[in-house]
Amino acid sequence: MARARAADRLNAVLMFSVGFKLSAMAGALDTVKAGDYIVIQRQDYFKLHKVSENGTVNLGKDILDIGSVIGKPVWTTYRLEQKKGGRRNYQLKECSITDLKDDSITMSNNSTSTSGTDNRNIVDDGSSQKLSMEEIVSLREEGRSSKEIVGTLIENSTTFHSKTEYSQQKYLKKKEKKYFEYITIRKPTLRLIAEIMFRLDQGKIFGLRIDTLSQIPTAVNLHAHGKYIVFESGCQGLTAAALLNGLSNEGRLVYVHLGNYPSKQALLALNMTPEQENSLICVNIYNLLRKLKSECNGITGEEIKLEGIQETSTDPKDIELKQEISPKEKELQPALEEESVKPETDNKKGADENDQPLTSSDQENSCQNKRKHSESGNDDGSAKKKSRWEVETDRAVSTLHAKADGLVIACREHPSSVLKALLPLIAPSRNFVVYGQVREPLLELLQELIKRPDVTNVRLTDTWLRHYQVESNRTHPLVNMTGSGGYLLTGVKVQPKDF
Amino acid sequence: MSFHEHKSTIEEGDTVILYLNPSSIHAVTVNPVTKNKKDAIVENILQTTQGGLKIKSLIGKEYGSCIQLTKGYGFALHPTPELWTITLPHRTQIIYTPDISMIILQLELKPGSVVIESGTGSGSLSHALIRAVKPSGHLYTFDFHEQRADVARTEFQSHGVGEFVTVAHQDVCQNGFGLDVAGKADAVFLDLPHPWEAVPHAVNAMRDSGGRLCSFSPCVEQVQRTCEQLRILGFIEITTMEVLIKEYQVNSRPMSVIDLEDIKPEDTGPHSKWKDPLTIVSCHAPPTLAGHTGYLTVATLPPKSSRLVLEV
Repeated sequence: MARARAADRLNAVLMFSVGFKLSAMAGALDTVKAGDYIVIQRQDYFKLHKVSENGTVNLGKDILDIGSVIGKPVWTTYRLEQKKGGRRNYQLKECSITDLKDDSITMSNNSTSTSGTDNRNIVDDGSSQKLSMEEIVSLREEGRSSKEIVGTLIENSTTFHSKTEYSQQKYLKKKEKKYFEYITIRKPTLRLIAEIMFRLDQGKIFGLRIDTLSQIPTAVNLHAHGKYIVFESGCQGLTAAALLNGLSNEGRLVYVHLGNYPSKQALLALNMTPEQENSLICVNIYNLLRKLKSECNGITGEEIKLEGIQETSTDPKDIELKQEISPKEKELQPALEEESVKPETDNKKGADENDQPLTSSDQENSCQNKRKHSESGNDDGSAKKKSRWEVETDRAVSTLHAKADGLVIACREHPSSVLKALLPLIAPSRNFVVYGQVREPLLELLQELIKRPDVTNVRLTDTWLRHYQVESNRTHPLVNMTGSGGYLLTGVKVQPKDF
Repeated sequence: MSFHEHKSTIEEGDTVILYLNPSSIHAVTVNPVTKNKKDAIVENILQTTQGGLKIKSLIGKEYGSCIQLTKGYGFALHPTPELWTITLPHRTQIIYTPDISMIILQLELKPGSVVIESGTGSGSLSHALIRAVKPSGHLYTFDFHEQRADVARTEFQSHGVGEFVTVAHQDVCQNGFGLDVAGKADAVFLDLPHPWEAVPHAVNAMRDSGGRLCSFSPCVEQVQRTCEQLRILGFIEITTMEVLIKEYQVNSRPMSVIDLEDIKPEDTGPHSKWKDPLTIVSCHAPPTLAGHTGYLTVATLPPKSSRLVLEV
């Protein structure tokens, strides 16, 4: 009763609002363009995908003609319609959210007539479903709707009506999930990207869970107009994406990486605007440090200390290998180079796998780079025009002439040498944060840092994340949770005591 | 101005965080003089565990400088919403950084977003919300306690972020968020005793193109009623979670090793033999920590054309 009254009051409020601003309705939603990243939602399953004209996407065992979403706004819902040729090939038919609701057993609220009070008389002997496997499969192949299929399953179940109401709901949810034939197209956001990547394979993003990711921008006091440095390897660009997402067009993010190309999957998935791409400066760590060092030698009194740089450059062979490659050679062997930098075989494997879920993006990424290289390559013969990586390195160095406002490190390598080399590039009273999937390297780093006079407030933390099922009378933590979301080491750079 | 943008030199009027050690951190406003109990104007001196500090001496120093105190030293740090959260004057229970970070990511805030907060409380979350949406976005924050709203407004002004925030003294459960924000918000944050009463008003305040909502509640009963209301009003992806932080104490210390080799039958007495001690790096979880702050319930409001409002 009270609930019905509350609903009445609610409807009154809503009716008022509908009348009030119906006119302001149109055109607020983005339209999907070819080459955009989209999120495909099927109930509570989300998938990141780059759309191309006439492209298809695999959703479980189903193959969808996804190209038809181009030109339509995000949040459009589509029904999967079986194509004549393949049994699990589908084309998309635009429909309304009410179609989806009408076709959904769990959403259309049709209360089942009878239910039991407990399960004392239900025996699991495998005979409760009268339909055979083949009969059920043929239902689907005939192109029946999920509502029809689940309805038939219930009709032929000897135990459904003696299940408890809760148990019936659970059954319906489970069955509907299997046969649900609607998808909704969503716009990727940092939240969705982080969740999708973690769920797909946390190994590929170095176990960086969303709660830990969320701590990173706050740990470096991310201001829209600020200037930040990120060194990332093996997180598919996720930390870089989290930072760029919080910057305005005046802000700058210097993405320092190993190898020739940074890993940009998460950045690309954000569908960066040209202005955002301009805020992002990608630079190889050796190129950056070498250039800074040479400038530093030229200009006396420059504050950038060389301790870190000397350390990383003690292995000249290493540097020669990676640095003295002409742009043309780079062009020829981008993938090889990138992998050769990753030290452990385990990581190498990770890098290989990285290509799979987002293949199109990777290809596009390297294609773009190749194009850019070849453009500049054409000029190489006639004029001494700088290649793109040289331009970017120059841009990074000039951006870092005035010191940066924060430093983020998230890498598979030991963070000590990286922090040592990059810490001189941030101003005093600015924060740094180091992410690690495991604790041990961070412990070592922490012990080094507490001895340094120019660093304070060093803390090692992790966060614990637990999700809940919330239903009236049935609220409890979810049965499964993740064991670790990684560790963060945070600190502040200060000026050493001079008295 | 110090909360708005990073700066390098301390000026009069800035808020400076004086960091002595992890358990002694002070927020100070750089005013050379202050009033004493008798209303007389006297030199502003901060008393700390490391001795006194003449506030005037901070002016002209660089942020990050080491500051000499009569019995020790500290660092003058640039203010951040995170340091403010641990030093601010409490007027209410506040939300701490791990929850704040998650709220910002879950609300999908970025520069340019319009976000609503209720209640304002002590302004712990507000500072972080402002940082996330400025300079092109805006925070509308509401509190039903008039004095709290006034103090927060003054605080935002003195922190240099006043232009990015509108503080209103308003009971949003009864009166909603008002016509000024109707249909404008990208995200709504609720920290109220009865959040479910504010949810219909939140829908009115949000854009027709939809947005995100987050409710922070310490009690599970509040969460249940809020989730029920969210479902009725057509919110999707309704998720409830808890985020807790654990800080580790790292120690490196020797550990003795008992020598149990070469025990001979003729040995007498219970004397112990030792090998060389090993150095162990240990990582302790604190003996007590916050085991509960509040449940974060987050949800997506689809655009009007894709919204399913349940008929109850």
